[in-house]
Amino acid sequence: MMLQYFQMLESRIDAKIRKTPDKPNARRKFALEIAKLGIRLYSGEHRVAWCGVVAPFDMLSAMNVTSCFVEFVGAMLAATGNVGMFLEESEHAGFGADTCGYHRAVIGAALKGLMPVPDVMIATTCPCTGGLAAMENLARMFNKELFVLDVPSSDTPESVQYLANQYKDMIRFIGSRTGESLDEGKLRKAIEKSNRARELMVEVYRLAENVPSPSNGRSLANFGIVMALFLGTDAGIQIAQAYRDEFEEMIRNGQSGVPEEKVRLLWLQNRIQFKNPLIKMLEQEYQASIVIDELNDITWEAIDTADPFTGIAKRTITMPLNGEINRRLNHVRHLSKAYKIDGAINPCHWGCRQGTGARGLIQAGLKELGIPVVNLEVDCVDTRNFAEGQLRTRLEAFMEMLQTNPSGLRD
Amino acid sequence: MYFLGVDLGSLSCDAVLLDNNGGVLASSVVPTGARNREAIARATDEVLKVAGITEDQIRATVSTGYGRDRVEKRLAAVTEITCHARGINSLFGGTQVLIDIGGQDSKAVRLDSDGQVADFAMNDKCAAGTGRFLEAMARALQVDIEELSELDTGASGGVILSSMCTVFAESEVVSLIADGVAVNEIVSGLNRAIASRIVALVRRVAPTSDGLSIAMSGGVAHNHGVVRALSQAFETKISVPPKPDTVGALGAALIAREKGIRGS
Repeated sequence: MMLQYFQMLESRIDAKIRKTPDKPNARRKFALEIAKLGIRLYSGEHRVAWCGVVAPFDMLSAMNVTSCFVEFVGAMLAATGNVGMFLEESEHAGFGADTCGYHRAVIGAALKGLMPVPDVMIATTCPCTGGLAAMENLARMFNKELFVLDVPSSDTPESVQYLANQYKDMIRFIGSRTGESLDEGKLRKAIEKSNRARELMVEVYRLAENVPSPSNGRSLANFGIVMALFLGTDAGIQIAQAYRDEFEEMIRNGQSGVPEEKVRLLWLQNRIQFKNPLIKMLEQEYQASIVIDELNDITWEAIDTADPFTGIAKRTITMPLNGEINRRLNHVRHLSKAYKIDGAINPCHWGCRQGTGARGLIQAGLKELGIPVVNLEVDCVDTRNFAEGQLRTRLEAFMEMLQTNPSGLRD
Repeated sequence: MYFLGVDLGSLSCDAVLLDNNGGVLASSVVPTGARNREAIARATDEVLKVAGITEDQIRATVSTGYGRDRVEKRLAAVTEITCHARGINSLFGGTQVLIDIGGQDSKAVRLDSDGQVADFAMNDKCAAGTGRFLEAMARALQVDIEELSELDTGASGGVILSSMCTVFAESEVVSLIADGVAVNEIVSGLNRAIASRIVALVRRVAPTSDGLSIAMSGGVAHNHGVVRALSQAFETKISVPPKPDTVGALGAALIAREKGIRGS
């Protein structure tokens, strides 16, 4: 099912790109590479690693291992519109219906035999313990040994070294399962590609800050978190370049992502992954544009190719979702200022203890800047729990409030 | 010129008709039932009949409530949060916190000094503590919903309900009746449980409610016992208009007047 889905997706997007080959087609190129990644994961022809969210994907790429975090599969299942059967399968197996939908979906898919048995499994202790538990469950189902990267929360030289040493162990672990050793030249090339993609993504985000923004509610959805899967590859560079070119052209031509942009919004945490009318409603009825997502940012320095383990460890440890909430709060406050935000939307994904546990602190922290936050209470994966009317009322009331009581950080 | 506000809620459909000066000519409350269009027509017909005017004399209509998009002759649809705030501000100027408990949701709205919405919060995920909840409890107690209003009289306040889930609370009420607990004690426990939930909701928009001017709208405000419990919880008087269920429609009518006059 998933292989067919990705193959259909690839041919559909490819045909659309061929129709307008002279356009940057950034979003389509991004979606095309996602489809190609899905095909590689499900074709049975490649070495596959199921991973945690912050695994070093460029390092895995250098070892010829096609890899992705399992939440990606949960999001893809939601996008297909058929996620309900997988969620039910996991619930039948005893998983609580109020746990994270991303993890329930992927476990349900594994129980139904729709997750290929991986060559290796690399879990990460960050960003959530639910993800680690899902990986442990999957490892048991697949009868595979799980390698766990223990990501420390503090940014100290000792912590960075601790994680860097684990990457070396991870490489030995992968080598013992695949027979593949890490070629230093290949790793250097992968890191060079990561750094180039990073440079371009910095430019993309800088362009998105423009008022009005070339970005809109769809163009950069899931961008930052999924781009991690393309680090170390040519595809990553090409996607980022397409976005950079598209945004530059739009700004040059005086075009904005949402025509006559009036309201600039920040989306906290992850997106609603299934088809829904809320973003379109915001854009068409209120000219409100989601100009930035919390997960769309570059928070790491270019990696020294002479010492990649240290650089990758530093990149992982300093990500805003790791460690104390204050780090995350400072990050969303920084984004709010940089993007001149009027208001923020927090989906408060059901079952995400780590995300919703910080809800009050994030709301209070943004309020200090004069940025109001609306909390949606939505399951970003489970279509069965989607209360459109309730969500629409919350968002519309939020827009009405912003219209009558303008706040935000515009000049 | 006349201006109409229609609030199509889950339990009732309310209408308020204003004259050119913003004075209330008539208001109506009819059950929503299964057929929304019929409820809208009935609520509208009632106010037109009382005012002695015809539909074509209405300059502008604004709709609100969960079914706001189903009111066909609307100039605009505005959320119930904005409409209740506008309505309560016209009745009790200076209100700082509005509590609106309707049929299937409850809201806390903080108003600024101009009576505009400064912040709001809605009930999470379920309808515990709303009109539907009280309907279920009245059924369990085998009393009319209107009777609940005074049934807590004389209670000592010793009963604490452990669950606010409508299904579990209903079975808990049945168990308490079976145990011989007095009805007034059970009703008092229900009212205090609702108040406790509302306090948590209000705290999200107003971390300290000390000294704040609080008002209440929505059908549940007819229940004096709930209002008393809220008043005790907040240690302050809760202002309740004579027709709390029409506050949303009133706000919609006021917005209709504003838009209608601006349009002409």
